[in-house]
Amino acid sequence: MSDRLIAPGESFASVTDRVTGIVFDPPHRLGWWLLMLLALALVGLGTLAIGWLFVAGIGIWGINIPVAWGFAISNYVWWIGMASGGTMISSLFHVMRADWRSSVNRLAETMTLFAAACAGIFPILHLGRPYYFYWLFPYPNVMGLWPQFRSPLLWDFFAILTYVLCSMLFWYVGLIPDLATMRDRAPSRAGQIVYGLLALGWRGSALQWLRYQSAYRVLAGLMGPLVISVHSIVGLDFAGGLTPGWHSTQYPPFFVFGAVLSGFGIVLMLAIPLRRAYRLEALITPRHLDILARLTLLSSLAVGYAYAMDLFTAFYGDSRYDHDLALDRLIGHYAPLFWITILCNLLLPQALWWRRVRQDTRLLLVIGASVVLGMWCERILIVLQSLAHEYEPSRWGLFHPTFWDWATLLGTIGLFLAGLLLLLRLLPALSLFELRDLLARRGAAHG
Amino acid sequence: MSLRDTIRARLAGRTGPAYWRSLEELAGEVGFAGWIEEEFPGLAQAFGQALGRRHVLRMIGASLSLAGLAGCSPAAPDVEMAVPVEEPGMEPGSIRHYATATTLGGIATGVLVTHADARPIKIEGNPDHPASLGATSVFDQAALLQLYDPDRAATVTRGGAIATPGEAFGALRARLDALAAAQGAGLHILSGAFSSPTLAAQRAALIAAYPRARWHGHEPASRANVWRGAALAFGREAEPLPALDRAEIILAVDSDLLSAAPGHLSYVRAFAARRAPTAGMNRLYVWEATPSLTGAAADHRFAVPPRDTFRLLQKLAALIAGGSAGEAPGWLLPLAQDLAAHRGAALLHVGPEQPPETHTLAHLINQALAAPIRLIAPVLAPQSSDLADLCRDIAAGGVDTLIMLGGDPVYSAAGDLGFAELLARVPHRFHLAPYRNATAEASEWVIPEAHELESWSDARAFDGSVTIQQPQLRPLHGGSSAHQLLAVLLGSVDADPRAPVLAEWQRRAHAAGQASGFETFWQDALRKGLVADSAQPSLDLSPKIAIAALAAPPVADGLALLFRTDAALWDGRFANNGWLQELPHPLTTLTWDNAALIAPADAAQRDLATGDVVRLAIGRHAIEAPVWIQPGQAAGSITLPLGYGQVRGGRIATGVGFDAYRLRSHDAPWQQGGATLDRLGRTVAFAATQHQPTMQGRDLLRTVSLADLADAASGWDPERPEPSLYPGAEADRPAWGMAIDLSRCVGCGACMVACQAENNVPVVGKEEVQRGRAMHWLRIDRYYQGGEAAPRTLFQPVLCMHCENAPCEVVCPVDATVHDREGLNVMVYNRCIGTRFCSNNCPYKVRRFNFFDYAGAEARPAAARNPDVTVRSRGVMEKCTYCLQRIKTAEIAAERDGKALADGDVVTACQAACAARAITFGDIRDPHSAVARAKANPLDYAVLGELGTRPRTSYAARLSNPNPAIGEES
Repeated sequence: MSDRLIAPGESFASVTDRVTGIVFDPPHRLGWWLLMLLALALVGLGTLAIGWLFVAGIGIWGINIPVAWGFAISNYVWWIGMASGGTMISSLFHVMRADWRSSVNRLAETMTLFAAACAGIFPILHLGRPYYFYWLFPYPNVMGLWPQFRSPLLWDFFAILTYVLCSMLFWYVGLIPDLATMRDRAPSRAGQIVYGLLALGWRGSALQWLRYQSAYRVLAGLMGPLVISVHSIVGLDFAGGLTPGWHSTQYPPFFVFGAVLSGFGIVLMLAIPLRRAYRLEALITPRHLDILARLTLLSSLAVGYAYAMDLFTAFYGDSRYDHDLALDRLIGHYAPLFWITILCNLLLPQALWWRRVRQDTRLLLVIGASVVLGMWCERILIVLQSLAHEYEPSRWGLFHPTFWDWATLLGTIGLFLAGLLLLLRLLPALSLFELRDLLARRGAAHG
Repeated sequence: MSLRDTIRARLAGRTGPAYWRSLEELAGEVGFAGWIEEEFPGLAQAFGQALGRRHVLRMIGASLSLAGLAGCSPAAPDVEMAVPVEEPGMEPGSIRHYATATTLGGIATGVLVTHADARPIKIEGNPDHPASLGATSVFDQAALLQLYDPDRAATVTRGGAIATPGEAFGALRARLDALAAAQGAGLHILSGAFSSPTLAAQRAALIAAYPRARWHGHEPASRANVWRGAALAFGREAEPLPALDRAEIILAVDSDLLSAAPGHLSYVRAFAARRAPTAGMNRLYVWEATPSLTGAAADHRFAVPPRDTFRLLQKLAALIAGGSAGEAPGWLLPLAQDLAAHRGAALLHVGPEQPPETHTLAHLINQALAAPIRLIAPVLAPQSSDLADLCRDIAAGGVDTLIMLGGDPVYSAAGDLGFAELLARVPHRFHLAPYRNATAEASEWVIPEAHELESWSDARAFDGSVTIQQPQLRPLHGGSSAHQLLAVLLGSVDADPRAPVLAEWQRRAHAAGQASGFETFWQDALRKGLVADSAQPSLDLSPKIAIAALAAPPVADGLALLFRTDAALWDGRFANNGWLQELPHPLTTLTWDNAALIAPADAAQRDLATGDVVRLAIGRHAIEAPVWIQPGQAAGSITLPLGYGQVRGGRIATGVGFDAYRLRSHDAPWQQGGATLDRLGRTVAFAATQHQPTMQGRDLLRTVSLADLADAASGWDPERPEPSLYPGAEADRPAWGMAIDLSRCVGCGACMVACQAENNVPVVGKEEVQRGRAMHWLRIDRYYQGGEAAPRTLFQPVLCMHCENAPCEVVCPVDATVHDREGLNVMVYNRCIGTRFCSNNCPYKVRRFNFFDYAGAEARPAAARNPDVTVRSRGVMEKCTYCLQRIKTAEIAAERDGKALADGDVVTACQAACAARAITFGDIRDPHSAVARAKANPLDYAVLGELGTRPRTSYAARLSNPNPAIGEES
């Protein structure tokens, strides 16, 4: 039973009805509105925080000298890490022709889109003079000035930009056949026009399918390396620094591991309530959750390896600064963050070795959430604690988050939630054509 | 509602900077009416009448034509009054320097004031002046900000309502006329300590005219103990001037020799010059109850509680005389032997807080040691009567008119005098007020006092040398000087501020028979900032008392409270000065606060932590103060810095710290025993700039003893630069570099304030300092070594290292921080977008970020800023530039004159201010330059050199010269 990717008895029509029904005849309207209101309230708070930021300056945050980066950069790394989950599931498993992705890729990609959008806000907000962010573009200008190509921040900027643009494109291209379905099923004229425009004239001819499949495969092939590159470069933002705790050659893969872990965590966190609320158990089956849980376990082990190596090199090497920093991480002011990270990212996911845990949606939800929380603590820890404990003890100092730090973080959470909720009501939450494709192929195989 | 209430009401509730041009504007109608009355008598009535059309038109016509006249009012600075250091004929727009002096406690330090386009913008030391030798203290540097302080008293008031200077002086004359019949009985004048020959002459003339008038002196940080000690020893008051250039062994007892003593800049210079192996290195022993800069500079520092000092000194005297000391600490005998072995080159110095008997004893020991000390008559004008006498006179009802010249005696009077209550009983109270402080509030008439940089006066240096102080601009707020006020009392109708000073010096020239050369003398004295050959002659005095005959001073038993002047605010007169409020105290790194300094052992015993608020009481007086656990503080003593806790006197001064004067006793101003301490259970958050007391075993501030340096096996391994594949300095350009000698630095902080003044570094306020956002480009790190009961204190000034391989540069995505061809790491403010990665990547953490619009929020006129340095906007990074503007000015001048840049042409602001000459700057390419020679010192090393940053700023390890007969630990 658990190896089924789609429940028995499902047909083309039933799948299509089930998924388009969420849009055209939505269940749980009240619950949706309550959640949406909460999300919008958070967005309002975040907008207020950002507005005040532009008026007063980034001094409203808790950053200081020595801790000149704080929540903004940590949140950025956290969000972009979660964004990776969607990309990994969609593109890598598409290229590897893993059938199980079909039910979750739309959800994962949509999540990626908004997580990347939330992430993308921070690098601009965190600038002292955000209105000059475009100076990072290598555009011809009368000053004859170019950006500084040796800086990891510049490559980070290019990497995020590419990643966000490609993620949007990938998501949209993946939607086109389904948009055509929506156009055909839309009950209102307006819906038909809007979906029709977005479907870009999709008719489902064999030639269109041929071109579509090759274009989608190219994009999927592109997204795989991009997810690796964006997190490697985020890692290089830190590894390129001279700061103890950052200056480490393992940071690029370490950041990829962490990103993927949080990506799977957030997909678990979203898929479980969604399948329950919209009765999609037949489409997002226990088999899907089992695979996601295994992937979470795998990336948790990879992250654990990186943590171990981080400590090992600090204590094995003869740099007093790295040594003191590692010790401070274990027992210093920020040690609680470290131990929460270990608990959430390393210890709790070990429960996934047991099949019974992998089949218990409530436990999976808890583990998914714990990984998301653990990764936030890890990002915060890397940014704050390394800066707080550098070379000159006279300059050691702590970071204390302000109301506005939290407000901005909550604002992005609201934005993420609002975006997901909105698209849930406007677009098919699962990939219809891929599910139908899966049904067709399964039907052929099983007779 | 009175004017001051109006103003207060309007200021209350305003947070952040509120700009206003004058108190009148704030006051609104009340002030406006007063102003109208003053400027256009009759017009005010006209406003009150029903006006006809013609009348209004006449008024408008008149006001239009009078507007032209208003342009002639004395608002523009009038520097023609001052005589520049350079010869006349310089082109407009250029930089000029004018000599004058700043005073502290009446004693002068010669300074040169830099003017840009006729505006004073910076203060430098006067190299020709014996108290400066080109260096400045933090107070000298900060005088500039004080001058431009918008909170200074700006209007004459009577009972809080605005009046005119004419009315005030008229009222003064009226009181004098009323009292003249009784030969001035009932006329009392209160002044601070002063050395001004002109004021002394005016005082003599006043007393001659009104024999029964009385003049009282009140100086919160009085040096009376020093003079009384000498009087006890020699039969007359005298001030000892140690010749540190000839001293090999120095014992400083609770001494301010290197921090605040008159002439301390010259002492620091002489002391530091001998902190090198090649200079016949001196050895400094310090006994003190509370840590000081002198103690931090010591080779051996012993925390001695105040009650033990005299007895210990007696034992030392016995040991030096070859006797026995009885029970004494182990280090006393080697110390005595060291002193005795250096007869003629060993000396004792005692601080003014010690009772006269300790000074007497030190004088006698110095005599026995043939110490290199010169005695001179005290340079301050003698004061026969003090504040306590005034209080008695008021209580007896004998004071009709009290004229208070400057200061804030209501605030700074010892709490047990009850001066504030007594003052209210005086019928006529006049205050020449620097600020609208507590005394001004309690006075009937308030006359704004001109700042000393706005006034004509004269003052003596620690050795008696006279400087004629010349105004650098017309009084910004129209204030008057004490000389002008006394001239009015003496019947002058001429308000010329120069007249009293000029007249006094003309009189002196006449008396000396040199009237004909007076004009040359006058111009010369003003230009040089020094009256030639005016130093006091030495006194030849012999002891009048034997050591054995000397009675011990009364001992303060129980918990002792020590009252000390503050390293930043002194006695409170600088409380409204943002540069000084934000200057980290050298030992605590505390800003914007004072704290009751308590010994670690006492704190542990009472279970107190830093920031805990306690109630300190002596008798019926009590204050509440937060404690600060101070390593090195003598057990059983608590130090209370003065100068804080003001409730009036400016927006910055008020509401900062606690007022220790309330516990002070007039008769025992420096220490009192028998205090009680109770924990209140509250805590306060301090704004310290450094939180980690030790170096954590890191190799940042290196120390080596003289013995280890000589012994190659046990000691110092000179650092050799690592080879690098990166290109070195360009051959055809200077390669700027700096060397800082940690053996010379005493940690005073003058460099920090000088840098702040030179580079328009903003003040950020207490909350921002607490958040770790202080903006000082140059900081002084303070590290402790050894146990907290008796630690060694080490200072390290840290500024941008100008790394050749600068880690900040590679991480900036927009190339906003780059290297120039002369090796400077320069910051392009316009290009900076504020990623702050450069700061994260700076291992020295010398970069500062404008988290808010700090410069814009400062209540500081644009005219007061250095026009050659960009004022930074919100969101950009900044840091030390090695005073790029000074480098470029020198390079342009050299190019204009067709000369090569010579060594010493570029002097950075920190270097110029440093009395110890710890900072050397120049072209490291030239092997003969001072900086290249300093870097060739075997003690020279790079901080964190192992990171490969190749810093251009290097340090010479701190050398110590401990007595081998005394263990390390003591």
